[in-house]
Amino acid sequence: MGPVEHLHMSVFSQSFSPCGRFLAAGNNYGEIAIVTPVSLSAPLTPLVFLNFLYFSRSLVYSLSAHEGPVFSLFSTDTHLLSAGNGEISAWSWAELIKRVRPSSLEIPEINAMTVNPTENSLVIGGGDNNIHIMDLESGVFKSVLQGHTDYIHCLSVREREGEILSGGEDGAVRIWDYRTGQSVHCIEVYKYEECARPQYGKWISCLTTESDWMLCGGGPSLSLWHLRSMSPTSIFPLSGCQRQANFYQDMILSVGEGQCVSHCLLGGEVKAQIPCTPHSLNTLALNLNSTDNRVLTVGGSSHQIDVFTNLSYRTFSLSF
Amino acid sequence: MGAVTDDEVIRKRLLIDGDGAGDDRRINVLLKSFTKWCNATGSPEEGFTQYQRMLGTLAQCEFSMGKTLLVYDMNLREMENYEKIYTDIEQNITSAHDKISECKKEIQRAKRIRKNRQEYDALAKVIQQHPDRHETLKQLEALDKELQQLSHIKENVEDKLELRKKQFHVLLSTIQELQQTLENDEKSENDDTQESSMENGE
Repeated sequence: MGPVEHLHMSVFSQSFSPCGRFLAAGNNYGEIAIVTPVSLSAPLTPLVFLNFLYFSRSLVYSLSAHEGPVFSLFSTDTHLLSAGNGEISAWSWAELIKRVRPSSLEIPEINAMTVNPTENSLVIGGGDNNIHIMDLESGVFKSVLQGHTDYIHCLSVREREGEILSGGEDGAVRIWDYRTGQSVHCIEVYKYEECARPQYGKWISCLTTESDWMLCGGGPSLSLWHLRSMSPTSIFPLSGCQRQANFYQDMILSVGEGQCVSHCLLGGEVKAQIPCTPHSLNTLALNLNSTDNRVLTVGGSSHQIDVFTNLSYRTFSLSF
Repeated sequence: MGAVTDDEVIRKRLLIDGDGAGDDRRINVLLKSFTKWCNATGSPEEGFTQYQRMLGTLAQCEFSMGKTLLVYDMNLREMENYEKIYTDIEQNITSAHDKISECKKEIQRAKRIRKNRQEYDALAKVIQQHPDRHETLKQLEALDKELQQLSHIKENVEDKLELRKKQFHVLLSTIQELQQTLENDEKSENDDTQESSMENGE
């Protein structure tokens, strides 16, 4: 991988393994890099930190997964699912080289994937404006949810209410009931004056939910919505378009255009903006599965992935 | 081997007689002066002064011995003291660890509480934007009353209209009847005059 390719690399997606010991990151060359720390039996955090340092200078294990860019990665309990331009591969976490089931679809680019654990089905949203639901056991496509008028950027599942939320380029966040396959609600975020930023457009690129609350952003400002009343409760004054946001404890972490990770409070104020290496960030992943490697990793338009062991500052960077 | 043991011996002797000019020399000097005094050939006063001098050096030796014994005791007690302090500090460390983990739990709880409060605040902001329930109820009541009044008036007006219609109907029908009777009368009068003219004509 020459220096020119390194310069043009962008990390599009990340996912932690279910045991919390491995990080998988996908880039625009179709590679997935797996970072495997040397030994995790060491209970002391400084030792783990040193192990990560060791790998930060050397090449992490990378496998060439797809021909096109890897837009989305998702971990289930046993497999890592990766999706790119029209094909989905499942890799078993136990043996990382073994590709379990590639399947190719007609969907032009798969931007978002998420799993619905109650039905054990994979929800895929992509460039053909539709949401496809596939059963994980059999690999058979169960249904298609149609309604968006432009391609879909992001997906989220609310298990308790049995809903799938999708946000797309057409500026609408649609809430679907997965049992009936009908669109229950449609929120057009750009129509609300307080959220809309017409200079950036109306597309929604990040969507995440937690119980009754939903965060969505993109062209319009990042805003917190209360889903029961379908009303925006707080607008976050972040410049630039946010590409991914997560709820964490009592804060909201969000990344997007702009060389920083923003920490915001639910009330609408921006608590902190932590600088990091890539100039524009595409993905944020929190490792909550393991107790000794509680880290936050961000990746974006650079070949480096920043790791934060303490949320307040960048600890080190891993390199593709 | 001889060289090693020599070194050891030298080292040990240097260690024991660490302060150099002191006790060892004093003991040697005492021994020498004792032997000299025993074999003394001089006058008894000189012997007596030498005897006094020897007693003095002996006292000095005893004094330094007492001093070192006290220092030894002191060191032992200091060691005990340090052991105690050490165990105290260890206990403090463990209790501090416990406190830290408790505080971490507290932090988690406090963060959850803060999150709930913020969610509450956010919802409250939205709710505040909507008008007060009492006011809306009052407005609704006022509107209801107005509606009732207006429907009342409408009923009245309709009743009046019906009444007038009926009155006009009665009036018109009486007029028509009168007209009919007048026409009938005229017709019968005409018939009468025609009959009479026909009778006159024959």
